[in-house]
This record gives sequence, C-alpha cells and structure tokens, in this order.
Amino acid sequence: MEVCVEAVSKIWNVAGAAPVTALDTVHHGFPSGRFSCLLGPSGCGKSTLVQIVGGLETPSTGKISIFDPATAHSAPVGAASIMMWQGLNLFPWRSVIDNVAFGLEVAGIGRRERHERARAMLAAVGLTGFDRHLPRQLSGGMRQRVALARALIMERPILLMDEPFAALDAQTKIVMQEELLRIFDATRKTVLFVTHAIDEAILLGDEIVVMTARPGRIKEVIPIDLQRPRSFDLVNTKEFGALFQHVFHLIREEVTRAMSEQAGQASEQAA
Amino acid sequence: MSRRRIAELTLPTLSIIGFIALWQIVVVLRGIPPIYLPAPSAIAAALAQMARDGSLWINLTATLLRIFAGFVVAAISGVSLGLLMGRSRIVAQIADPWLAALYPLPKISLIPLMIIWLGTGETYNIVMSAISAFFPIVLSTYAGVQQVDRGLVLAARDLGASPRQIQAKVILPAAVPHIFNGLQLGMGVTIILVVAAEMIGGSDQTGMGYLLINAGQVMDTDKVFASLVVMAVVGAVIIKLQRFIDRKAAPWAVNAGASRE
Repeated sequence: MEVCVEAVSKIWNVAGAAPVTALDTVHHGFPSGRFSCLLGPSGCGKSTLVQIVGGLETPSTGKISIFDPATAHSAPVGAASIMMWQGLNLFPWRSVIDNVAFGLEVAGIGRRERHERARAMLAAVGLTGFDRHLPRQLSGGMRQRVALARALIMERPILLMDEPFAALDAQTKIVMQEELLRIFDATRKTVLFVTHAIDEAILLGDEIVVMTARPGRIKEVIPIDLQRPRSFDLVNTKEFGALFQHVFHLIREEVTRAMSEQAGQASEQAA
Repeated sequence: MSRRRIAELTLPTLSIIGFIALWQIVVVLRGIPPIYLPAPSAIAAALAQMARDGSLWINLTATLLRIFAGFVVAAISGVSLGLLMGRSRIVAQIADPWLAALYPLPKISLIPLMIIWLGTGETYNIVMSAISAFFPIVLSTYAGVQQVDRGLVLAARDLGASPRQIQAKVILPAAVPHIFNGLQLGMGVTIILVVAAEMIGGSDQTGMGYLLINAGQVMDTDKVFASLVVMAVVGAVIIKLQRFIDRKAAPWAVNAGASRE
C-alpha cells in the first residue's frame, strides 16, 4: 500500500495562546513496501504526521490517500495501517496474550483462535512463555515485543512507528532494530518510522525524510541505497559514515535554528 | 504461615493481650465500679450472654443487612452515574452542581428529614446507608473515567475497537482502581451512618446502634463495651475483605493508580 500525503497542514488551536502550526503543507509519497524514516528535531510535527496518516488525528487542510499501486484500489485512512506507539500503550490490566489478541477480540474472533494466533505472533517476535504475565512484570525490551506483536497480528499492510525504541537502553535497542529489520525483510510492509536518531534512521530506512523545525516541513528526502538484508555491522562501514555526516549537517542546521527560535521567544517573554 | 508472617503478627498480638491484662489488673486492684469501667472479663461475660440469648445475632444481622442493602444500591447507582458522567458532558454538567453541594454535606444532618419523610423503619435505615455511600462512589468513578490515559483509548481505536467496545474494554477496566477506592470509602461511611441512624431512630428496636444506645441509657456498661467490640471487629473484617477483593480484582493496580483520597 502506498501512502500519499498531499498538502497536509496541522494547526493546533490552544485556548488563550496563538495558534501553533505543527505541519505546513507537507507533500510526500511513501512508496509501497518501503521503509521510510521521518527524522527531525523534537517538535517538528513528525509524530503528528504519522498520526494523521493513521487516521488518529485529522489534518487541518490537505488530504491523505492510501492505495494499492498495482490495482489502484484505495483504502479508507486508518483501515490499512496500524500504529506502534512511543509510549507503547499496552493495556496494563490485560495479560500479554490478551494485549496481543485485543485487535482480534474486538473483531469478534473466538477466544481459542485468537489465542492461538497471538501465541504464534509472540513466538515470531521472540517472546514465548510469558503469555500470562502482565506488562508491568516484563522488562522494557519484552514490552516492546508485546507492542510489536499486537501491531503485527493485525496484518495491516502499513506499519506506523512513532519512536518505538526511544526509551530502550543501547543494547536492547540494537537487538530490537535487528528484529525489526528481519521482520521487514520477511513481510515487506510499508513502514513509516519516526525517530530523532540519525544512526537508527540510516540503519533501518530505505529513505530518510528530513523535517524542519516548527513549522514542520520536508527539508530533504535522502535515499539510503544500502543493501538488504542489513545488520548492525553496517554502522562500521564507510558508506554509513558518509551518510551520517550528510544527514547530521542537515539536522544540525534545524536544531540550531529551533534552539535560537526558542531562545528568541524566551527573551521576548522576558522583555 | 511463613516465619516472617509469624514474626509480623507477634507484636500486634502481644500489644492486644498486654493491654487487656493491664486493664483487668487496674480495674480489679483499684476497685473501679463496673458501671464506670467494667473489667475485660465482665465484658466477655456480657458478650457471651448476648450471644446465648440471641440478641447479638439478631441485632448484628439487622445492621449488616442494612449496610449491605444500602451499599449495593449506592454501588450500582453510583458507578452507573459516574460512568455516564464520564461519557456525556451534558450529564456531567447537570449532575455537577448537585454533587458539589451535597457531597460535603454531613449525611448525618439528613437524619431528621429522613425520619419525617420515611419514619424509622427499614426504608429509613437503608436510604441513609445508600445516600452516604453514594457520593464517594460517584465521584471516584467519575474521576477514574476522566483520568483514563488517552493513549490507551487511541490505541484501542487504532486496533479497530468501536466506541462501545472502548467503553467496556478500556475505559471501565482502566477506571477500576478508582472505582474500588470509591467503594471502600463508601463502605466506611455507610457503616458509620447506619449505626448512627439506628441510634437516633431507635424506635424500631433492632440493630447494633439500637443495642448500644439502649444499653447506655440503662447504664449497662458491659453491654456498651461488648457492642463496641463487636462493631470494631466487624468493621475491620469488612475493610480487610474489601482490600482483599480489590487486590484480586485489580492486581495490575497494586501500588499504582488507586491513591487514597
């Protein structure tokens, strides 16, 4: 499934304050079966953009279309995608298996079948034998796997990921990134992956969509033509280093600009 | 029982036994008149007498039935209204001024009015019980629904849940720790109010509150103490039982979410 973002803007109206433009006329086509990373300084609207693509937030202007490029059939926004959240949003009162099976449960699939499928999905993400545990009894990395399984079990062609690994320690993060690479190679979904880590974006993505500081616009789209299957070893290669430098300079400009704007606002308020 | 559990129970048990022994010795040695402070042995004898002649069981059953009847009415109506308020802004706005005005009103001050309206029969006792439990239950439920993590609701929607499914499978369970907290608060005030209602509207002549005030009026001090002991034990058992159910029903929320108010 291809995602086409056409002139999407998002303006937040906060009571008692000036409206904030989070996204300003964003155009981009996310090609089918490709891994796209959205990279930008914090507050650039990248989370908002994936939420709009997922139908969880409405754009102020512009539109999202989702269609199969082979058949030209389109799907309603939200129906073909599933989100993996920054905060995971696991249901704390549900056991691991009932978290994973939630989407099947609300779709009316019987207990035995949904548990069977959930167990298979947990095995696929490397988490067997913790069916009856509650999320709070698991480590951070294990909770990530539960959230990933809960998303993947829906078998939606578009996977939206909002900084899913941001809270992990460095080692667990590498393990989860390699896990995700393996799953992507096996399923070839269309992935929109939000991150603020440059190395993560290069390691995972087929392209990096670099966004500007508020208001969020697309600054540059960088193709990452590194061969798949990939692994973490890639970060030691020359190509990786060159790409990192290139992206880093683009991002540094934006971060500096964002910081000076914030400083300007602060001194304005102080004056 | 584990060794640690036994160790944990040793001091509390010794504390009670020591206190009773001291009490007995002081009363006997100083010859305190039983009408003023009866010895623990005399209180135990009075309790045994009340148990034998059946007055303890009749009155205790009457009080417990009133507490639970009122509590069940309050729990069902309170949780329902709290959930409705969480679901509909209109309901919340209509209910809000009444809750704000009636919640802090000491429910005991409604006793004269309820006696005028309802007399001093069972209806009076159960209505007093229900009214007192109702407010903490509604307010805790409403607070619980309002504090549901918006991320969980969005995640459920993304996973295909309908608004009704979100209500039943996300909002309600997420609010359970707060609801149980409200039920505990409600139970506490119901016990107080039922006994108070029995003491004031005692013409119907049953209940622990009646037993207590009746014994007090004829200076039957051993019976007063015996009734107090029974009520203290029953109250403690009810609260412990509720905490136990609470932990079983919402194990994920132990030490999280269900803050005391």
